Amino acid sequence: MTAPHPTRERTPADRPWADLPPPPRPKAARLSPADVARVGGWGLRSRPMRVFLSALGIAIGIAAMIGVVGISTSSQEDLNRKLAALGTNLLTVSPGTSLSGDEAHLPEEAVEMIGNIPAVESVSALGGTDAKVYRNDRIPKEESKGLTVSAARTDLPETTGAELATGQWLNGATSKYPAVVLGSSAAEQLGVHQTGQDVQIWLGNRWFTVVGILAPNELVPDLDSSALVGWSVAEEKLGFDGYPTTIYTRAEESEVEDVQAVLGATANPESPNEADVSRPSDALAAKHATDDALSGLLLGLGGVALLVGGVGVANTMVISVLERRSEIGLRRALGATRGQIRTQFLAEALLLSALGGLGGVLLGIGVTVGFAAYQGWAAVVPLWAMAGGIGATLVIGGLAGFYPAVRAARLPPTEALATT
Amino acid sequence: MTGLTHPVVELTGVSKTYGDVVALRSADLVIQRGELLAVVGPSGSGKSTMLNIMGTLDRPSGGTVRITGHDVEQLTDRELSALRAGTIGFVFQHFHLAGGVPAIDSVADGLLYSGKPRRERRRVAERALRRVGLGHRLYHEPHQLSGGEKQRVAIARAVVGDPPLLLADEPTGALDSRSGAVVMELLHELHEAGTTVVVITHDRDIAASLPREVRVKDGLIEHDSASAAVTTAALPEGAAR
Repeated sequence: MTAPHPTRERTPADRPWADLPPPPRPKAARLSPADVARVGGWGLRSRPMRVFLSALGIAIGIAAMIGVVGISTSSQEDLNRKLAALGTNLLTVSPGTSLSGDEAHLPEEAVEMIGNIPAVESVSALGGTDAKVYRNDRIPKEESKGLTVSAARTDLPETTGAELATGQWLNGATSKYPAVVLGSSAAEQLGVHQTGQDVQIWLGNRWFTVVGILAPNELVPDLDSSALVGWSVAEEKLGFDGYPTTIYTRAEESEVEDVQAVLGATANPESPNEADVSRPSDALAAKHATDDALSGLLLGLGGVALLVGGVGVANTMVISVLERRSEIGLRRALGATRGQIRTQFLAEALLLSALGGLGGVLLGIGVTVGFAAYQGWAAVVPLWAMAGGIGATLVIGGLAGFYPAVRAARLPPTEALATT
Repeated sequence: MTGLTHPVVELTGVSKTYGDVVALRSADLVIQRGELLAVVGPSGSGKSTMLNIMGTLDRPSGGTVRITGHDVEQLTDRELSALRAGTIGFVFQHFHLAGGVPAIDSVADGLLYSGKPRRERRRVAERALRRVGLGHRLYHEPHQLSGGEKQRVAIARAVVGDPPLLLADEPTGALDSRSGAVVMELLHELHEAGTTVVVITHDRDIAASLPREVRVKDGLIEHDSASAAVTTAALPEGAAR
């Protein structure tokens, strides 16, 4: 063994370069965005199966959310279209209960008085009767199937938008005779499918001829289960008291709310509190709004799926960092700064979840289109939902990738290179 | 030789301890531009520690490390990274080539952190591959290359940015003797073209075949074949022989 070479005092003469000016400090170069994307994407390309599976988690979450939003938007859109067709300017007035608890009456002249409001376009009324309707005279009395018999003014279709599926509406002549128009479900339940002189039903203990059958009316569903007879025949033959029980009013679109405010007092000036005013389009919209609870639940489930997907991405990234210690060490040796390593893994996580997000949006659109087609709606997926979906995945990718990226950047290069 | 320059590597009293274990004790070493030397020693001798410190992958526990005049202690981690990117090329025993990546892209990655645009990186990478005799293997992936070819790709990656200092850690350790000879031949060529080459090895024959030999044992530099001559000034080629 040779002795270590002698340590001796180093003199300035040994270091003639000591007087040289120090070189300028080295400056780290930046990675271009394209290089960041390439380096981040490289990690994904080398492990396609794992990438697919962890992106799938994100995709399912996003698809669920896009699907829920898309389906509810499509159904809302469909409702809006329907309402636009039906009109949102229909108002109804019905008698409430009087203070003493008795059933109140709307005055006979209420229809006329409402008709005098300037913003009212049309007005019509139904009057409820106590008569029952049966397929024929041999049906037992108690089997009335919950169908109601109402006296209808001849102008009812114009105001309610009721359309005839077959036959004719009551006119001045037929409303004096025992003729009846059946609502769609009333006709269904009575087993009546056609109209004509020989089609008769047993109504209020006499035969009535079915002259028309109505198409289903979504705005005024009460008509569906009604048998409608003329005002005068009801008074003469069915013991109808002549008081309207529902007054239908079409107001000018811009004045609907003003008309709604004065309708009760106009219909029943003596006791305006005894008149119930409602707007059927609101009721339809409210019925739709009850679905929001379910949508909220599904949205929450989508959120949970998204969260689980995010955990999947984080897991993938942690494993990726562990597996790629030597790559990290090599990159550090090639001159990557800690920040560049961090950026690389963060970019990888972002790309991974963006892939999932993109897949999820496509999947969600597919679900929406499929469901809407099944329901006969036009599919609508709002842009904000798609943008929000992608945005959410980027946030999740950033959060999920942050810790692994920081770990990767903190890895000492020597340790990273030692694990071969 | 005109023009006084900073030595490529200058270690002054450098030591490194890991807990209670002393890996390197008060090492003094000056490597001038254009040298070709071996750091030789058995495993556990401290030569790998010396490589890590010369390569600025690790900081010393004591003493001063200067790389091309930069006092490593004075530099931030970011600046050290930039120093590695521009000044030091590494060759590893196990090549460290990523699977599925064509040779030209592996080599171009040697310039990834230098700020050069991709087109330029690939152009220079192609030239570097031709220089190591792999012009016909530009688009081959690691699994299509022999061990010796892989190491030549790794050398091309190390020198693609023309760094003043090339650190080769057991460059022939994973190769058969014929491939090893080709790799050593290549390192000689790079040295002749002006690169400072430091070969870390446990192989005494390889060490003896190089102009300068620094023997390390138990964390001490026990022999430096140029200890008398090197500290004077920039040496003319081959003066240490």
